Amino acid sequence: MKPAPFTYHRPASVREALELLARYGADAKPVSGGQSLGPMLNMRLARPAHLVDLNDLLELDYVRNTGGVIEIGGLTRHHRVASAPEIGRDLPLLAEAAATIGHYAIRQRGTLGGSLVHADPAAQLPLVAVTLGAEVVLRSAKGERSVPADEFVQSIMTVDLADDEIVTAVRFPQQLADEGSAFDLFSRRHGDFAIVSVALTLRLDPAGAICALRLGLGGVGPVPQRQTGVEQEAIGCLPDAETAARLARAAAAAITPEDHPQVPAAYRRELVETLTARAFLRAAKRAGVTA
Amino acid sequence: MTTETPFTHIGKPLPRKEDRRFLTGKGRYLDDVVLPGALQVSFVRAPHAHARIAAIDTEAARALPGVLGVFTGRDLAQWTAPLRLAPPIEGLHPVEMTTLPIDKVRFHGDPVAVVVARDRYVAEDAAELVEVSYEPLPCVADTAAALAPGAPLVDDTLPDNLVSHQSFRAGDPVARRAEAARVVEARFDLHRHTHVPMETRGCLADWDAGRSHLTMHIGTQAPHPMRSQLAARMGLTETQVTVISPDIGGGFGQKIALYREELTVAALSRHFGRPVRWREDRLENLTSASHARETHCVTRAAVRADGRILGLELDLTEDFGAYCFYPANYMARVIAMILTGPYRISDYAFDVKVVLTNKCGNGPMRAPMAITSWVMEGTIDAVARELGLDPVEVRRINAVRPADLPFTMPTGEVLEDVTPLETLEAAVAAIDVPAFRARQAQARAEGRLLGLGLCTVVESTTYGSEFYKAAGIPGSGHEAAWVRIEPSGAVNASVGVMGSGQGYETPLAQAVAEGLGVTPDMVNVHMGHTDIAPYGMGSRGARGATAGGGTLYLCAQKAAEKVLAIAAGMLNLNDAQGLRLQDGQVERRLEDAWQATGVSLADVARRAYLDPTALPEGIAPGLDVSLTYDPPAMTYSNSTHACEVEIDPATGRIAIARYVVAEDCGTVLNPLVVKGQQQGAVGMGLSGALFEEVIYDESGQNLTATLADYLVATACELPNIEILPMHTPNRKTPAGIKGMAEGGIMGSIGVIAGAVNDALAPLGVTAEQMPLSPQRMRALMRGAGNFTYGTSFSDPGTTAHDTTTHGTPGNSDGRTGRA
Amino acid sequence: MSTPVPISLVVNGEAHDLVVPPRKLLSDVLREDLNLTGTHVGCEHGVCGACTILIDGRPARACLTYAVQLEGHELTTIEAVAEGDTLSPLQQALHEEHGLQCGFCTAGIVMTFEAYLRENPAPSEAEVRDVLSGNLCRCTGYQNIVTAVLKAAEAMRGGRGA
Repeated sequence: MKPAPFTYHRPASVREALELLARYGADAKPVSGGQSLGPMLNMRLARPAHLVDLNDLLELDYVRNTGGVIEIGGLTRHHRVASAPEIGRDLPLLAEAAATIGHYAIRQRGTLGGSLVHADPAAQLPLVAVTLGAEVVLRSAKGERSVPADEFVQSIMTVDLADDEIVTAVRFPQQLADEGSAFDLFSRRHGDFAIVSVALTLRLDPAGAICALRLGLGGVGPVPQRQTGVEQEAIGCLPDAETAARLARAAAAAITPEDHPQVPAAYRRELVETLTARAFLRAAKRAGVTA
Repeated sequence: MTTETPFTHIGKPLPRKEDRRFLTGKGRYLDDVVLPGALQVSFVRAPHAHARIAAIDTEAARALPGVLGVFTGRDLAQWTAPLRLAPPIEGLHPVEMTTLPIDKVRFHGDPVAVVVARDRYVAEDAAELVEVSYEPLPCVADTAAALAPGAPLVDDTLPDNLVSHQSFRAGDPVARRAEAARVVEARFDLHRHTHVPMETRGCLADWDAGRSHLTMHIGTQAPHPMRSQLAARMGLTETQVTVISPDIGGGFGQKIALYREELTVAALSRHFGRPVRWREDRLENLTSASHARETHCVTRAAVRADGRILGLELDLTEDFGAYCFYPANYMARVIAMILTGPYRISDYAFDVKVVLTNKCGNGPMRAPMAITSWVMEGTIDAVARELGLDPVEVRRINAVRPADLPFTMPTGEVLEDVTPLETLEAAVAAIDVPAFRARQAQARAEGRLLGLGLCTVVESTTYGSEFYKAAGIPGSGHEAAWVRIEPSGAVNASVGVMGSGQGYETPLAQAVAEGLGVTPDMVNVHMGHTDIAPYGMGSRGARGATAGGGTLYLCAQKAAEKVLAIAAGMLNLNDAQGLRLQDGQVERRLEDAWQATGVSLADVARRAYLDPTALPEGIAPGLDVSLTYDPPAMTYSNSTHACEVEIDPATGRIAIARYVVAEDCGTVLNPLVVKGQQQGAVGMGLSGALFEEVIYDESGQNLTATLADYLVATACELPNIEILPMHTPNRKTPAGIKGMAEGGIMGSIGVIAGAVNDALAPLGVTAEQMPLSPQRMRALMRGAGNFTYGTSFSDPGTTAHDTTTHGTPGNSDGRTGRA
Repeated sequence: MSTPVPISLVVNGEAHDLVVPPRKLLSDVLREDLNLTGTHVGCEHGVCGACTILIDGRPARACLTYAVQLEGHELTTIEAVAEGDTLSPLQQALHEEHGLQCGFCTAGIVMTFEAYLRENPAPSEAEVRDVLSGNLCRCTGYQNIVTAVLKAAEAMRGGRGA
């Protein structure tokens, strides 16, 4: 299980990296943490002629709060996302989700940009990015653009990324201090890709009723899905077990998962129902009352 | 360990000698053995489950720089003899296979060609360039398809796919049915597993053209049988082959047979006159090394109203895969033979079918008879359920009692010095069944699913030569050892078993130390090198302690006799009466006390080697003693596993709340090592019962070729295990050793099924199929209805010490904390 | 296009000048070019954890990294954990608690926890199991490894006077 041959490039700056990608186009593949690409290369499921290593681009490893928007560099490792105090405070949903990615050693290497570009349908970070309405910042030698996360992730392992582009950053709207959020997933073993994952945020009005709710589901289709119907249904409801059950049923009814011999559609629906309810109740407990 | 034993060194929990090298990265596993100029190979494997090989075009691969050659089944057939398995066993078809397939491939992963190159990267580049034209054939992916009339033949030389079929009857189980209050039928489906040693297979073959000699470096559990096989298949004598097994990164039964890839590599080394090496990659290991289990059983128990079993019938079907590296009845036979285990059943019949399919061939995997205890205990639980009886009482009423011993099972197997009723009572007491039942009743009222399982295991161990003779299997169960005291008094010893990670070096040194009268640190036990070790039968079937340790112990005792005879001469005594060797010093019994004589083992050794004319008359020079020993046909250990689970009704996840094992494996050489084996076996059994599964689709494609798909349990899924050790010596073996290390698999599979089904009882459904995946749990619940679940939003968590959510480690519920 | 390239690697504090093909896995370079065979290869797809080493003090899979990527970084392997004949507290605890059997996964586990215990000197059992879940062990059932890590953590805290 050894990779096919490739030529290795180690750009020292973003500009140099983008020039290399512009030059080699589809023959090149950028690598950062390598925790998803590495196995694909070793199994020869990916065989780029040129490997462009982004690991020296330390200018892409950062967390920056720019007035209500938390911008995180594409090369920021999962372990930092999971454990940086400012992310825990300003983006608790992201921190909670990042802590569940793979295993400890995997999180030391894997990066935010890499996870988004890989776009596994069950991955944590695309789901959180979609749920929170993040913007993915892409750059090529020609310039920079930003794409809403739900448009960036197009299909199974397919994203809106040209051959000469890299993800330089992701801009997350800062979670509000009174917002409750919760991430949950179900996998056969600890650390495996989820069968189903749920990301949920909610806010309560002064009367204690829900005034805003976001619900994203992973593992139920080719890409993470916001459940806007369920979100609207929640408005004005009390954050109690009854609402949890109702919204969870609605979420389960809203999806059309694939029927797979090992994971029947009915089972995925049941997981969505359970995990949604559990995440809802946890988020509700964490929500403060709006002043 | 505070148990009183008559031993000085046997039974001491000494930490292992081999640890230091493993902990510091200084172990020597196969890939750490380097021979300059070694060539590397990569195998080309079939993408089809069943296909004719129309043509193989190797031109492009050969043209790649760095490639020395590409070879196919036809080449290998010129260099090696096929494997023919034709033991005289009634109902078993003889089979034969070439070293690599020539006409057709029989499973997804079958090797069809081999590339030889200067390095592994290039070998893999070239393997991609080998073009094989296949004509796909219809395949049989399960036993039902394989046994259907007109089914495609997996092996074209056989009349059908039923490669082995045996029946047996003792007493009259059909008549017992007529007398019974009820005939309880139960079904058990144990899925396909694979061994997953952390170190995959591999070998380094080194042909010495000048001496016409093959040295095969290979992690093998059975070096001498491996040498015999290699010599026979390559047309060499056993003087021309040396097998050297370095440290082994786990075997679990996968490293016994001489596989086709290994023989190919040996033949290539001879062909090129250069060392050739192969390291199996993990994809190959999961798809093409060896699989195991996939056993389907149906039992019919004829029972009295009080649960007493009058007669028992077993129908067993095993899906054996495409190739036989072992006689096809090998594993299934043991299941049928010991099924009744700890219970007094005399009217018993079995019908055992072994079927070829287009999957990777089966072999023994730690507990070849893994399903046995699940089948027996599951039958008992089914009896209890159908008759509304207490499952503990049904066990008690049927159990072999102390007064029944020695007890002859209906198949003729004799149980001696076993304590199944005692382990049952110990486990029942430890887990506190009445307290659990109270908790369970309350939990059920709240809509929660708690369950308790019990599983008593009678584990066949050791397998003496009489077993092989009776089974008709070529081979033997005896073992051989030598003990050499060198001129300095240092002690070397050797035996034919070969550990694959269990930690033989320390317990076997303890056996030698005990028998000889030295300390274990003075003893070095050499294993795995066929020019050094005596011809032994290797490690399998939990024979390391009884056969390996027992033989060394007896051999060391024999050496001690000679040492003391020489010492007697040095002390001017007529004979060795009243002398003993203790910690390397000769002592003499005077006035009821052992007293120093001032003569040490080193003094004796010096005389034996360097001053032989001073030896007593009739004593030959040197201190070099060897011995062979044939243990009883079978020895038995026994245990009872008890386990408490909770099933999350919402997700189907099974959490293990508590796990207890009461185990009696006789005299143990080293309780630390034994405990490690007990924990490891339970862990492996649970991993298999709950997570692992080799999955083939209907076209015979293996869907579990990576460790992300074949799910070996991690530290978050396995429980802590409480062990209640018991030690009833076997009176027929040296030092009373019984052997162990496979029973934990049998017990854990049985007990988890029992616990899950107890939890599911209020729903009126029973899990009959493994693995006990959450999907399967939910499917059963979905089909049941009629149970008011508690609020499904409180997550009962996974296994007790696990985190309640993945994101926030640290929420241990405290039960399993070891503070 | 896979022409070998010269690289300089710092492993266990020692600099090595090598010429390796860019595609050569770090695990293979450590083992074959530097003769550091304590790092084991168990799956080459990042799941089993046997090849875990430290890159700049953080655990990483050597099988998912190419040696050519690591010029300018500090690598640490199992060979550098013991000081002379003295085992580290973690190695010592694994020995005493019988936290290893075949030893093939052991180096990866030691490397993972040498790093983790520096980050979290007082882990709970659940935290130890969470981290250990990235290393597969087929022999032990994990119980004694968990016990050993907790024991080592305690010993290391005591040693620092914490």
